This record gives sequence, structure tokens and C-alpha cells, in this order.
Amino acid sequence: MNDEAILITGMGAISAAGNGIAETLAAFERGARNGGPVSLFRTALTYPVFEVKRFPQEYAREGQRTLDLALIAVDQALKDAGLIDPFGFRVGVCMGTTVASQLNDLAFYRSYREQGTAPLAPADRFLKGNLAAVIAQRLKARGPALTVVNACSSGTDAIGAALSWLRSDLCDIVIAGGADELNHVPYCGFASLGIMNDGLCSPFDRDRKGLNLGEGAGVLVLEQKRAAKKRNAASHLTLLGYGSSSDAYHLTAPHPEGVGLKASLQAALAEAQITPDDICFVNAHGTGTKDNDQVEGKILAEAFGPGLAMLSTKGYTGHTLGAAGGLEAVFTAAGLRAGWIPPSIGFENPDTAIPLSPVREKTAVGGRYAVSTSLAFGGNNAALVIGLEGGA
Amino acid sequence: MNILGIGMIFSRGLGIACFEKALQDGWRKPGEIEVAHGAGRNYPVYLAGLETVQGKTLLKKIRRSDKLAKMSALAAADALVDGGIGGLRDKRVGVIIATAFGAHVTTFSFLDDILDYGDAAVSPTTFSNSVHNAAASYVSLSLDIQGPTLTVTQFQFSFQAAMQLAQTWLDQGRCDYLLVGAVDQYGDVLRYVADRKLAIAEDGKIKPFAFNPTCYVPGEGAVFFLLSGEDRGKSYCRVDAVHTYDDPLHGKPVDINIIDADGMLPDESAYLPSLSPDIPSAAYSPLFGSMMIGSAFNAAAGALMIKRQTRYASPVQDNPHGICILTETGEARIEAIRCMGIDCSQAKSAIYLTSA
Repeated sequence: MNDEAILITGMGAISAAGNGIAETLAAFERGARNGGPVSLFRTALTYPVFEVKRFPQEYAREGQRTLDLALIAVDQALKDAGLIDPFGFRVGVCMGTTVASQLNDLAFYRSYREQGTAPLAPADRFLKGNLAAVIAQRLKARGPALTVVNACSSGTDAIGAALSWLRSDLCDIVIAGGADELNHVPYCGFASLGIMNDGLCSPFDRDRKGLNLGEGAGVLVLEQKRAAKKRNAASHLTLLGYGSSSDAYHLTAPHPEGVGLKASLQAALAEAQITPDDICFVNAHGTGTKDNDQVEGKILAEAFGPGLAMLSTKGYTGHTLGAAGGLEAVFTAAGLRAGWIPPSIGFENPDTAIPLSPVREKTAVGGRYAVSTSLAFGGNNAALVIGLEGGA
Repeated sequence: MNILGIGMIFSRGLGIACFEKALQDGWRKPGEIEVAHGAGRNYPVYLAGLETVQGKTLLKKIRRSDKLAKMSALAAADALVDGGIGGLRDKRVGVIIATAFGAHVTTFSFLDDILDYGDAAVSPTTFSNSVHNAAASYVSLSLDIQGPTLTVTQFQFSFQAAMQLAQTWLDQGRCDYLLVGAVDQYGDVLRYVADRKLAIAEDGKIKPFAFNPTCYVPGEGAVFFLLSGEDRGKSYCRVDAVHTYDDPLHGKPVDINIIDADGMLPDESAYLPSLSPDIPSAAYSPLFGSMMIGSAFNAAAGALMIKRQTRYASPVQDNPHGICILTETGEARIEAIRCMGIDCSQAKSAIYLTSA
């Protein structure tokens, strides 16, 4: 097993906060919140969302928005990695999603239900739209391909699976992350659960009222050091550890004692061979729901102490479901590299039930290691440890 | 890694003993259903029946779940019993579920809600059960498993991809035991789609060695494997290697080739170049139906053959290409089996099983 650090040689991100890392970081610095009413589909509901505006038209194809978002982020990440032609390397693809895994086209289904027939184009798009398979075919990748459908931790788990592939030498390079579009079906579903906010979300705030859905894609190029060396690529960013653990408690609510989150953090830190004291910040899942933020804040305070620099970026992007883990891994790596994290936007008033408050201002971070966490429907929890070689 | 236990539910019952009996008894005509919008026409289908399951304790625990989750939980629990593993709290156990289509039946129920009652009046229970990883969550919840719980989907190679990841997790010590399962459910809407792309076997008989043209009979069910790096002396077999999208070991000598051919592709002739005239081939899809996760059932058949040192005849032996197929059931020395799959782009997968 290869237990050396795995390099992050490229990153790509698109969300309501921006298209590309530079645009996103600029939005973070400005405190831009691009949430607003739904424009992508007609709905009787009025919960605000974070849509990607100014969608790059060269990627836009009917009914394949999740895949298009993924390809935008993949292309950015490959360009960032200088990986124009992966020929000669065993390249794997591991992507998380929720929406792209389901044939939830309302028009198709309505037609089938009412008439017994339906145009097959939506079904064809679904059957030909497996994220990992399409990306692998596009890259002519010769490594494993896997689409992870683990609800809100899908992106984080996909990156974790990629780490396992690289450690076991199944491939030299993996394109890993997550993508999801804003879709009518989960929009109604989350509303039915009563966890959507009728204003903009405020993670960890005393008066938080729920989440906003968003959309986007976040992708990392992960690479064994010897592969990077072979193609003269370099990076100071590393993926060091992954932990995943189930609460085995409830389908939609986190365990009140956060047993799964605690275990996933311990596993990720153990794999990275570091201690909680080494962590300079945590990019939390922080959805803005009562239950998630209370449990997550409590466990992060227990694990890292009340002085931890912590934030949620969902105030900028909304909850992008299967993309969230990918995007937040990118933001975590970008924060480490830039040496600062943005204010946890939306947060104003500390909650006495949460022994830890997120940062309110742009905050300098000088350490070498950071953590990104994800908590999912179904009780799955996942954590990544990202490092900066040569950092403080 | 070693296969310590196998659990399954399919059209002929719950448990590996039912599957073994099916392998011994051979093909049986599937049941029939009248499908929506089918103009009263009946279609053959291999449905898994939950109503005959003995001991309802587990089902009571997950009574709000859908059929996909119930099949998963029953098969996973069965694998633990078969593997003789109990007291999971002190063991590091993970779950990986492979599915091609996930909770599509529940998803369409949720779409019914939206169409019938509007965006603001849909059922939260239906929604939470429609999420792709709900079945895996019910498995970990009902069996009290707190290790990593993952759901993956890769259409034809979902199960192989899950096994490949499982191998890395065990090698890296992320878990001591893994329940790797494959599950899919029959549903009218996807049958409608399949019928427009594939030919139904009107006589209910999948002919896996026909290759082109093919015919299919929808199936459903769940298979779970209890995997571990340890060999407790009662293992079914060892999983030597798992390859997806390519099989670098395709020239390796084995005792039997099991192919996943089941009519889920209109042309399955990509199997032909991989079949040797000297190595008997088998295909068991006529026992459980056509499913993109059918490879898991075939792998279970392979594991049983190695454990029992018994060859099971291919249940349907129509053989227009004159290939070497397993025609008779009987004792045999079996050390290695290759389970082969192809996908719609003709890419290959392989799982190599050897005696432990």
C-alpha cells in the first residue's frame, strides 16, 4: 500500500459563488451571496436557491445540467493540473452525485403515466449520463470509474474512494469530486421535510431556519507523486486522509451524539498521521438546519477545541448535495494555499447550544492541515484531511 | 479478500440454500404480471416475494422502507448469518451497495405525489426513501453497523466496481469486514424503457449463449457478500482480483468461465472472443432474471461451486455458436473461476475467484 501523501495537482469549481477558483475566491472576499428565486423550473414554492448564472453556453446541453457542470469543473481541474493528454497514465474517475443517478424527469413520467408512452430522450440521457463513465470516456481514461451516490456526502466519499484507489495503486491519477444540478424533485423533497429556509441560510446561527439548495461541481485532480514527477507537475497541496462512518441511527436525522462524525474525523486524522492540534481550520458541512449544525458544532468543538477556526461555505453556494463534498474540498485546499478563509457568511448570532462559532471575518490561516466534513441523509458522515507541504 | 458468507433474496426465495437449490433444479418458467398500459397483456418477470419471508423481526424494524431497502436488509442480514459473524458493535464493518437503478420505483411514487398534489404537498417519507442511498442506510441502521456505508452506481459494472473498492478498503485496514451487496428492483417505468430497446423473451427463457439477437426477462433481488481479509476456514473462496473496463488477466487459465449475458444488451457477442473452446462456460441469468447487477448472482454461483466443488449446469443450454458450455451438474475439482461481464461500450470486467 502506498501511504505517502497524494498530491492535489489540479482543482476546478463552479457554483453560484463563481465559475473557477479565482472568481469564487473573489466572491468570498466580497461576501457575495447570489441566492434568489428559482428560475430553472416552474414551482409553486418560494424558497430561495443558489443557481449557477452565466452558464457557459459551450457546455449547455438539454437535460444534462449535472453532467455539464461536472465537465466544466473537470476541464478547469485538468487545465490547472496541466493534464492535457493523460495518455500513458492510468487515470481513474470517481464522481459523486445525487440527481444524475435518477430518472426523475417529470415531463417524461407524466407522459408515461397519462398516455402509456413517452419520448425516450430523457431515458437515453439518463442511461448515457453516468458521470464517471462519461468523463472516463471523454478522457479515454484507462483506470477504474465509479459514481458514488451517497446523498450529501457523495462528493467527499468519491474523493475518499479515489484516495483508496491511489493508495492501492489501481491508478496513477484520479479525477474526483462531485456535481449536482438544482432540480425540481429534490427541491420539493427538501421542502416536504421542512428544512428549507425562506430567506438566505445562516449556518450555525442562533436563528438559523434551514438550508437553501444550490448547484455546482467541484473536482480535484489527485495524483501519485511518481506520476506527477514523471510529467513534471508539482503541487504543495496534498490529500492525506479520509474517514467515513455511519450513525446507524435515523434515515434523515444525525445521531444526537454525532457518533458517526466523530468516528470519521478520527479515521481521517489517523490516516493522515496527525492530531487535532495540527488542524488550522475546518470547512464544516454547516447546512443551516437546526439538527445538523447543532450536532456538527458540538462534535467539532469536542474534537478540535473551542478555538477552532471553522466556517461553512454554504452561505455562498447553498447546499449543492452531491457536489457539496467536491466543492468544499476545493475550497478547503484553496483556503490552505491562499492562507485565508472567508467569513462564514450568514452567521451573526452565536447559538448557546453550539460550543463553537464560525469565523465572521476573512481570517488568516497559517497551518499545514485542514479538514472538510460532510454529513448525509441516511446517517453517513465523511471527513477529508487536506495538507499543504511546506506550510507553516 | 475472502467470501465468508453470502445472503440473497430472489424469485425463488431467501438464502443461499434457495439459490443452491435453484442451481441444482435448473430453469423454471418465471411468473407473469399484467403491466400498466400493457393492454391486458402479461409479461414474464422474476419477482422476489417478501411475503414468504420467515421471521418478520427485521422487516418490522424497517417497516417504512421500500422493497429495495427491504430486499437489501434481508440479504445483508442473511450474509452475516451465513458467515457466522455476530456482535457487530465491536467489529469494524462497512457496507457498500451497488445498484444500477436504485430506488426508482419510490422515485416515481414521489413524482406521482408532485403531479397529483403539487410541489407543496408531497410526502417526506416517500422522498427520503427515494434517495439512492436509503437502502444502504436501512442496512446499517437495521444491523447496527457504524462503519463506512456507501452506495455506488455504474450500470453494468456497479457490482464489480463495489468489489474493487472493497478490496482496497480491506487491504488498507479501513474495515475488518465488509458487506458488499448488489440490489435492483423491478418497476413498470423502466420495463417500458427496456421494452423499447430490448427484446422480451416471450417464453420466459433467457438464452444467454444466443448473444445476438438477445432476449431478456426482467428480474429483481439482492445479493450480499460478507468479505474479509481473514480466512476462517469456512470461506466460500478467495476473490483474487477484480478488474473493470479491462481484463489484463484474460489469458489466465481457469476451470470455468461464468458470463453475465442476460439479454440486457441487444448484442452480447463481445463475450465470444473471450470464451475458450477448452474452458466450459456457464451463465445463470435464467434462474434470477435480467438485471444489470446480475453479475453478483453469478459471482455467488461461482463461490458456491468452489465451496461445494460442484459444477452446476447452465440452466438454459441453447447454443447456436457451439461454444463449450457446462451441460451437466456434478462433482468436479474447481480451483479458479472467472466471472465475466461486458457493458454497452463492449468494455470488459472480470472477477477472479479461487479456492481459499
